[in-house]
Amino acid sequence: MNLKRVAWMAGALAVCALVFAAYLRPDMTFTLATAVWNCF
Amino acid sequence: MNAAAAPASPRLSMTQVLICGAAIVTLSMGIRHGFGLWLQPITMERGWTRETFAFAMAIQNITWGVAGLFAGMVADRFGAYRVLLAGGVIYALGLLLMALAPTPLAFTASAGVLLGIAQACTTYAVVYGVIGRNVDPAKRSWTMGVTAAAGSFGQFLMVPVENGLINGSSLAGLRLDGVGWQSALFVLAAMALLILPLAAGLRERGLEGGFTRPQQSIGAALREAFAYPSFQLLMAGYFVCGFQVVFIGIHMPSYLKDHGLTPDVATTALALIGLFNVFGTYAAGSLGQRWPKRYLLSGIYALRSVAIVIFLLAPLTPWSVYIFSAVMGVLWLSTVPPTNAVVAQIFGVQYMSMLAGFVFLSHQVGSFLGVWLGGKLYDATGSYDIVWWIAVALGVFAAIVNLPVREMAIVRAAGAAA
Repeated sequence: MNLKRVAWMAGALAVCALVFAAYLRPDMTFTLATAVWNCF
Repeated sequence: MNAAAAPASPRLSMTQVLICGAAIVTLSMGIRHGFGLWLQPITMERGWTRETFAFAMAIQNITWGVAGLFAGMVADRFGAYRVLLAGGVIYALGLLLMALAPTPLAFTASAGVLLGIAQACTTYAVVYGVIGRNVDPAKRSWTMGVTAAAGSFGQFLMVPVENGLINGSSLAGLRLDGVGWQSALFVLAAMALLILPLAAGLRERGLEGGFTRPQQSIGAALREAFAYPSFQLLMAGYFVCGFQVVFIGIHMPSYLKDHGLTPDVATTALALIGLFNVFGTYAAGSLGQRWPKRYLLSGIYALRSVAIVIFLLAPLTPWSVYIFSAVMGVLWLSTVPPTNAVVAQIFGVQYMSMLAGFVFLSHQVGSFLGVWLGGKLYDATGSYDIVWWIAVALGVFAAIVNLPVREMAIVRAAGAAA
């Protein structure tokens, strides 16, 4: 695996981790939970 | 004649196809994925029931499947560029009208029909046709995997982005105000228009006026595909994919609620599915380049069944939900690259978008049944148990039916193709 590929993978992982962290913010959790729970 | 022969037209570079195709799929798959966030604000503002909103979304999914057949035919005959252009414009128009729709009928026409058509014109089947025609078969599955991963990432990314647009968010200590549900749809409409310049990167000059000399008519291609057992087996497998994914995506929060788990467990589960889906689709595309795709597909469906069985039999805790979500996330859309790559491998690339559209319609029928049957059997029995076990049985069925799929290019008698 060359350096360029490793850099791409690391970048992709970092971006995904940032987006995942956005889901775990309290405001986001509350909004999603309200949206999801209200359907049932 | 070998079906895998590509049309003699100047090829686009793989990098160009990859960047433009992935960006288009990121936008088209991402924008629609967070529509659930509009359920409450729209129904409250307009005084509609949830059923009105849900009906429009159901129509959107069915329209996506049906319109995909025609979008694929046009894309194969006249190039994906024109279909993508039309799709981008319809997407933006649908979002604008969704924001302004004053009646349930207008809402269904915009959020349901127009956005369903737009998705058919701008998602996998159309973009995969360009990949099939322009990327070397040795790199095709990998390229499809990257594109599918981009779509998965779009879905994962856009939910928090859309929530931020509607309700506001804070970033690095700065509070960013939301613009409200209506203006958020206007912003999304502007984003959908980005598909237009990106489509230019997928413009295939050789297809501008249609194939100058079609190697096979549309009718002949359809007759050939539907008479070929492997195509039927792929459709059957993809039906199961739609059933399982949409049943779990829609009904799992309710299942967790029934078992006393808190809402934040459900939202973390959805986030984990989104996260692992990105890696799963990429991995499936890469593995499809090295392994026989029928075994890969069979393995994916078998693992889904195993994961569901363990999830049902193990004690239900937040951690069992998280582990199940991560595993299902890896297997979520990982069927997309190998299924489409096999279609290209068997039938060649001339009618790839159209044939992928037919396979996808089977997926959408499965999706519809997954949602509907989940609700129907829950109402009848007061539990999801029967549907979970149907999902397990269907997974075993799909694992078996993918095994005899023949991945070799179909051999046509001379003169039989026209």
